Amino acid sequence: MGPLIPQGYITGQWEFVIALLIGAAFGFLLESSGFSSSRNIAGVFYGYNFVVLRVFFTAMIVAMVGLLYFDYLGWIDMSMVFVLPTFLAPMLLGGFIMGLGFVIGGFCPGTSYTACAIGKLDGFAFLGGFFLGVFLFSEAFPLFEKFYYSGDMGNITIGEVLHVSDRVVAFAFVVIAIAAFYVTWLIEKKVRANRTESKFE
Amino acid sequence: MSNKHVHETNPKRTVIVMVIFVAVIVAGLLSLKTPRLTYVLTPEQTLALVTGGEGCVHPYQLVPVLNGTVDTVILIDIRNKFEFGKGHIKGAENISAYDLTNEENIARLKEFKKNGMAVVLYGNTQLEANGPWMVFRQLGFDNVMLLLGGYRYYALHKHNLAATKGDKSYLPGMADFNYAEVAK
Amino acid sequence: MNKNYLFLSLLMILLAGGLLLLPDRTNYSQIPPEDLLWDIIQPTRYVTTEQVAKMIIEQDPTLELIDVRDADAFKAFSLPNAVNIPLDSLLSPNYSDYLGIEDMNAVFYANDDMLADQAWVIAKRLNYSGIYVMKGGLNCWIKTIIQPAPPPETASLDAFDLYDFRKGASIYFTGKTITAPKSDNKSKVIVRRKKKTKATAGGC
Repeated sequence: MGPLIPQGYITGQWEFVIALLIGAAFGFLLESSGFSSSRNIAGVFYGYNFVVLRVFFTAMIVAMVGLLYFDYLGWIDMSMVFVLPTFLAPMLLGGFIMGLGFVIGGFCPGTSYTACAIGKLDGFAFLGGFFLGVFLFSEAFPLFEKFYYSGDMGNITIGEVLHVSDRVVAFAFVVIAIAAFYVTWLIEKKVRANRTESKFE
Repeated sequence: MSNKHVHETNPKRTVIVMVIFVAVIVAGLLSLKTPRLTYVLTPEQTLALVTGGEGCVHPYQLVPVLNGTVDTVILIDIRNKFEFGKGHIKGAENISAYDLTNEENIARLKEFKKNGMAVVLYGNTQLEANGPWMVFRQLGFDNVMLLLGGYRYYALHKHNLAATKGDKSYLPGMADFNYAEVAK
Repeated sequence: MNKNYLFLSLLMILLAGGLLLLPDRTNYSQIPPEDLLWDIIQPTRYVTTEQVAKMIIEQDPTLELIDVRDADAFKAFSLPNAVNIPLDSLLSPNYSDYLGIEDMNAVFYANDDMLADQAWVIAKRLNYSGIYVMKGGLNCWIKTIIQPAPPPETASLDAFDLYDFRKGASIYFTGKTITAPKSDNKSKVIVRRKKKTKATAGGC
């Protein structure tokens, strides 16, 4: 039956209502996972807290496996689901910049909003920088427009690149994720054992 | 340990959500109905079949079937009982198009296929049996054939079927006019 | 480590492993064979040549005529504003956006019913809606619209009404009178193609 809008079950005007609901749910989960605290977020880079990695990896593998089951059951037609086009080099650079912002600022864009929502001043400061960055980016956009659109690989998925089925990719990711959970748990244990001021929420 | 995040020490909620998630998938899998009939040919293969002109039987090819020299051909009249009663090809069996996908008819068609019997579908016109023929071809019954000309052509020529060999009037897709000339 | 984590990890691996065991899914975008046969038996897919003529004359914007004959035959003669999709390239991606346009009534036609009907069956299986077959094809078009035969004098009034309509249509399509529109309207074929679906992009 799904996806609802491309199949015409509901009109595209519902997009914003659905976006609002998903956004509220996303914000709630970020906050309840403790992501409005910079300590939790930046902890990934110092090795004492990998909750970010765990939450996002869990979300990813559950969604991945769930969608593939739903596709099989006929509840959602994955061939109609939009796949974001891949621009490899610009995306790598973008990821690097975002990671840098992550470790310097202690928030990712979504969590800075949840930090604002619970009244954190550093969240507001981050948001100010965020908008300044958006403004500068937009103004300077013509300078790197060519790079921004370079290397368009189209709407491809990992399975299509590697010529394996999406199910194999999902299985591989589940194994990788669980291995990552175990390894990060070991790292966490080691790092925390040496810490004296290890109180964080 | 007190230096752990609250969620790290209490994964109960995650377990509950996960169990619900699994239950939904299991319920979905259990309620999944396997379709009784599935397409064997892809749309592309079907298209190649109909444009290739295969799977058709010419009226004159019925002659050995009707005089009994060939007994591996089953004729099926897909019209309704009323039309069938008014007249039908000798030895034909009447299965209305509405009943063709019935359990027992599918089982019989499968048996015919297994025994190497050919099945010829016909209606009043070729057009009438074309759809059912295409459906069964798509379901993988490659022994199902379509009678060109249909019953009407047969009824007109039933006394001299063998003589219709060179006739082209029953072939579909012929232009009866030179359209560009006529429609000026 | 909490035992629950072991349980969760195991469950997730089992779920993902189950995915690998699933058979390939059936194609849900196609209609089930039983339904296809049912739709085939119904005569609702047929439109008469008069209905098509009326829609052309009234310039019905929802009419989309699809000529499934080959390109040469199409070049020699075609109905006004028809699109040529030869049957053997019905499924080629070049033509896929002519089918399934919202609110459009696509009418297949060929010399007679057969090619158009075959195109219809395949399109129907692919679950396109708003598709029809012009009953009798161009042969019938010529017989009824271009060269209508007068009914016998004993025929009903309806038959005469039909004949009057056909006569009028004949004049309209052949341009027998001075006021008839120019017949070179083939040069301005306007076909609205289906809009490509565009989704909003987003991220974290």
